Amino acid sequence: MMPLLVLLQVAVACAILCNVLFLGWQKLKPMLAPSGMDTNNLIFVGGLSRAHGEWSSAEVEAGAQALQEVPGVRAASAAIGLPMEGILDVVALRGPTGVKVGVDVYAGYDLAKTLGIDIVNGRNFLPGEYPAPSEGQGNGVITPIIITESLAHQLFGNTNPLGGLVRDADVKVGGSYQVVGVTRHLIGTQMTRSHPDNSIVEPQRIGKMPFLNYAIRVTPHMHRSALLGVRKALQREFGALLPVGSEPTAEFYDTLRGNTFAARRGALWMLIAVVIIVLIVTLIGVIGLTGFWIQQRTHTIGILRAVGARRIDILTYFQGENAFVVIIAALCGMLLAYAGNLMLMRYYAVMRLPLWYLPVGAAVMLVLGQLAALSPALRASRVEPVAATRNI
Amino acid sequence: MKSLSTVHYASQLAVAGLSRFPKRAALVVITVALGIAACMTTLTLLHVLSADPLPGRSQNLYLAWVDTLMARPQHSAACSLNGVTCGVTFDRIKLHAAQTLLAAHRAARRTVVAGITINEVSGNGLYAENQKTILATTSAFIPMFGVALRYGRDWTPAEDAARDPVAVIDVQLARKLFGTADAVGQSVRLNKTLFRVVGVMQRFEPEPHFYALQEGTYDTWENMYVPYTAALDAGLEPDYSDDCDTGYKPPNGFIGTAPQHCASLGLWAQLDTPQQVANYRTFLQNYVDQQQRALASWGKQPESKLISVAQWLKEKQVVPASTRVNVWFAVAFLVLCMLNVMGLLSARFLRRRQEIGIRRALGARRGDVFLQHILEGGFACLLGGALAIPLTLLGLWILRRQGSEFASLIHVDPAMLGALIVLSIVVGALVGLLPAWRAAVIEPGLQVKSE
Repeated sequence: MMPLLVLLQVAVACAILCNVLFLGWQKLKPMLAPSGMDTNNLIFVGGLSRAHGEWSSAEVEAGAQALQEVPGVRAASAAIGLPMEGILDVVALRGPTGVKVGVDVYAGYDLAKTLGIDIVNGRNFLPGEYPAPSEGQGNGVITPIIITESLAHQLFGNTNPLGGLVRDADVKVGGSYQVVGVTRHLIGTQMTRSHPDNSIVEPQRIGKMPFLNYAIRVTPHMHRSALLGVRKALQREFGALLPVGSEPTAEFYDTLRGNTFAARRGALWMLIAVVIIVLIVTLIGVIGLTGFWIQQRTHTIGILRAVGARRIDILTYFQGENAFVVIIAALCGMLLAYAGNLMLMRYYAVMRLPLWYLPVGAAVMLVLGQLAALSPALRASRVEPVAATRNI
Repeated sequence: MKSLSTVHYASQLAVAGLSRFPKRAALVVITVALGIAACMTTLTLLHVLSADPLPGRSQNLYLAWVDTLMARPQHSAACSLNGVTCGVTFDRIKLHAAQTLLAAHRAARRTVVAGITINEVSGNGLYAENQKTILATTSAFIPMFGVALRYGRDWTPAEDAARDPVAVIDVQLARKLFGTADAVGQSVRLNKTLFRVVGVMQRFEPEPHFYALQEGTYDTWENMYVPYTAALDAGLEPDYSDDCDTGYKPPNGFIGTAPQHCASLGLWAQLDTPQQVANYRTFLQNYVDQQQRALASWGKQPESKLISVAQWLKEKQVVPASTRVNVWFAVAFLVLCMLNVMGLLSARFLRRRQEIGIRRALGARRGDVFLQHILEGGFACLLGGALAIPLTLLGLWILRRQGSEFASLIHVDPAMLGALIVLSIVVGALVGLLPAWRAAVIEPGLQVKSE
């Protein structure tokens, strides 16, 4: 009965562990995605929804001017859509590979430079490439864009993306884009997307839109004063034009990121706590059972020692016994983990558990089992041969 | 069966047994407590999130929808590709359809709802609540949803029809704007129109905010209700719409919500019998069928739907799937804890092999030994259950700290406390069964002989 209980415990623990680790990785993965920007000295502005009508180009321009005059500000770019800010501007692109890819669009003036996007192939937009707000896309105009390496691969395969054309898959006329630059990474608006690099930059003089964002690059040692200055300038420039009671917002990238991931971080800590508790409970359970089971056989151990078994033989015997039980248990646990994941997938749209999690979980269980058996097995190895002459 | 004194004696032995190796007993208690607390924490969250938002009424309430949008159906490739739900589900209707359906007496009660975010200014212009959401609706809303009035009255269908700018506000708004809860007779200015307060209500906050989910799911309410007719006259527009007629150019140049051209009104009907539901469903479909030709020119079939509150909440995934997934994880963890405790108890009982053998030799029956040990396991699990209460509260506190929109909802009610006690008894019985049986089958003779 004792080995059976060990087996069941280890199997259940293995199943929980595989699934929790997988869940944890899904929570963690977006937090590790590179932004593709130089985010250290970056402020994003949001909350600029005009109370009535649209922002004119003049207002947007004046706003950028006012922000640039704030001490500590190096550059300010008007934009529509920024990571974690503003409007979700999504376009489905189709390139030569025929694959349709949904991308987040960041449109703005001199945005690549202000965001600190590192163009590894091709170039930034030329001054003449920024269309006035009234000229949209369409009308036969081809919009130059900067894309990411991941997008280049999805849209163009292994061919050189520079100069390549892609089309907006949703519209019949217009919506043509030409790739002029490629950056390594560029995170999407939502930050938690499974494809973080599906984003593009588009040149645009912002205006004729009820929404507006600014990206602002500041001097490294003037964070506090620059942020205060920016907020003041925003209030001065836009405060009166916003709906009463609504305020422009300006925050550093790291602050916004911290807020965005707060819930996720909390959930991640919970999962870590779950893993630790599961491991401790299993460890204690296996120690208790193995200890008792070995103790029951003190008499036998004495006999073995009396007929010549060395201490190391006893130790390896019990460690081996534990490994045998745990390996069988881990095999059951792997099956159980997979079945559990299938059930969660079926009813709750959980993702499929990648198979390599299973041996990882099993390996953890094996180490845990060996650790748990160590102290009872050591105690067993210290049993004197004379125990053979005693009862129990 | 056993006499009371036998049970009493067995309990005494069980308590004595439990206190013999207190450290190991504590391990059993803590493990049980952890397992139960994990289950109860996740179950409590599921329980509060999936509670009926309006008990006694919600089973008769239905969201009705008819498609009269003169626009091509949206299926944007970008939305489906990028792992983003663009939120284009069609649940709301345009003004003309709303007027027609409200006028037809096919449902016991029917109303439209639309949230409008606006600044609420007291009639004298001195006090204001900025950027609050009001509800544009009809006179039927208050009786239909069972909103409790504190002062004054709700408005009448006649006032709806006359497009009177009347309003029912909640106590908090009344205090804020007028310094008194009884604000009947005062006025609130929205935009440029003065709305006369005819009634003051208790804050109406069903959780989730099912009748207008786009305004928020939890922790959402409107502090002012006005006739939608008067709201339109005052130039107010709903906050959200599903889509607009293609020809319509909204004044903000971007997203239109004017109900004359956009689907921005939610229609709710009260239907008390299955027959009424079936009839209303036919009625809705007939209504759209009449517009078949116009719809066909936009490549659409005439479509309507009638959906109950329960279905509606399910469709909108108001309870996040992760809540249910977590319950499964907690259950698996409880199973692990139970297996663990089963092992700990077995080892504990079998260590007393000799003593049990002696008891048996002295005439204790199998049943007596079994009873003693199952009680010992049971007591340990009950103690675990008791310890699980503070642990569950701790777990819920942690959940609240994570700051979700439903944080304020998370609490333990008596039902959950009862469930916890039942759970710990069941766990105790299940966990103790095998070890107690193992103890009970120990033979008397062998033990005496070997000693």
